[in-house]
Amino acid sequence: MSKKVNIKICVGTSCFVQGGADLLLYNDFIDPEIIEKCEVEGTSCFNACKSSGKEGAPFVMINDIIYGDMTPVKLKKIVTEAFYARNK
Amino acid sequence: MKDIFIDIDYSQIYKNGQKIGGDVFLQKRNPERNQIVAVLSDGLGSGVKANVLASLTANMAKKLSFSPMDLKHSAKIIMDTLPVCKERKISYSTFSIADIRYNSLNSNIQVNFLEYDNPRALYFRNSNNIEWVGDVNVLNRAKAFKKEEIIHNVFNLKVGDRLIIFSDGITQAGMGISKLLGWRLSGVKEFVSKVLENNPSISSRALTKTIVNKALNLDGFASKDDITCCCIYIRKPRRTLIVTGPPFLSESDNLLCQKINEFSGKKIISGGTTALIVSRILNKKVRVDLSSYSKEVPPLSIMEGMDLVTEGMLTLSKVVYTLEKKVPMNELLNDAVKRYIELILDSDQVHFIVGTKINEAHQDPSIPVDIGIRRTLIARLRRAIEDNYLKETSIEYI
Repeated sequence: MSKKVNIKICVGTSCFVQGGADLLLYNDFIDPEIIEKCEVEGTSCFNACKSSGKEGAPFVMINDIIYGDMTPVKLKKIVTEAFYARNK
Repeated sequence: MKDIFIDIDYSQIYKNGQKIGGDVFLQKRNPERNQIVAVLSDGLGSGVKANVLASLTANMAKKLSFSPMDLKHSAKIIMDTLPVCKERKISYSTFSIADIRYNSLNSNIQVNFLEYDNPRALYFRNSNNIEWVGDVNVLNRAKAFKKEEIIHNVFNLKVGDRLIIFSDGITQAGMGISKLLGWRLSGVKEFVSKVLENNPSISSRALTKTIVNKALNLDGFASKDDITCCCIYIRKPRRTLIVTGPPFLSESDNLLCQKINEFSGKKIISGGTTALIVSRILNKKVRVDLSSYSKEVPPLSIMEGMDLVTEGMLTLSKVVYTLEKKVPMNELLNDAVKRYIELILDSDQVHFIVGTKINEAHQDPSIPVDIGIRRTLIARLRRAIEDNYLKETSIEYI
């Protein structure tokens, strides 16, 4: 039984306009076999934009860790790694 | 805000093959004097000539109704002024004038109703037809070519009352085709009661459309005359609450939620942070509905007890733009903006509760789009729905 990877994409205003909109097209750039075993949710602001200094929007939470400056390429990489880490 | 809403609307189909109608409907609201005038006029003949006659009649009737002059005297002036038809050597057009006055609290709605040669208007209380007579006045004009009878009525309208006014295109629909003598007043009456029984809260717009389409149907889908129907409907207003922005002081969060709970009507929460506050205090979960994806606005969310939960500024900007430009509904994508506009257009009164706290994340200069200021945006939204869609609005800041 494989464990699901939990992905939360911020759809707050600030994240959405700075690239979050592209992340919502996750079906287009992540491997379908992997995305099938992920739980993808939209969520409102994590308040990460106000607290973390270095990283900027858009933010995505993967298995309870918040990642900033997310791009489709980076998201694919992290999700794939997280998936194989959980399903060795 | 007023507790009663006067819903006036009409539908019209021109005579088959005509590009201009001989029936004219006009309405004018004068909120300062608490007066609404609705006029339906049918000009002699059809096409341009009839349109000129009917427009003249309707405009004069509208203007004269706002003057202190007696309605019966106005009728005389209108008939004296109409131009004479070259072929028929008469000047003629029918009219119905409803001069509606209400006091400032909007109760006690008095109608001064005048009819000349249009089919008798129908008066419905809920789905029951109310028979009415009215005093008949013979005008005795010097230039009259026939006996001119004006039927005058003064009465009070209550919540649930409808006054349905139509031209002879309705009562004569189907004459010689589907019905020997046309639809007739009795047929229309029966049809309207049936519609009202099935759908007691039908709007004026939908009701008149139903009647007009039925008349066209009876005419074999090629109207023999201009078909016009208008309806005056007194009802309780449909209300919508729009909550946007977190309160300036976090102590007011509870007050905001209390206001949301107490409001009766549709509820829209516009803003991610606002939704989180409400969700925390009312203990209801917010879930983002990713299926409503669009490139322009973030997806909408779902919360129990709320009719719509959306992201804030981007969605609002798009809503304001769409309403200001009067973009038709069928051109909109199936996203949060469409749902938002549907809710606004379905209501008569919109109340705004605007939080005045500034969102720090929006102050970042690297954001690629202009996010704007909430208060300016709400002011534009109010103007758009008041001017373009004739809704009432009110606002409070928190």
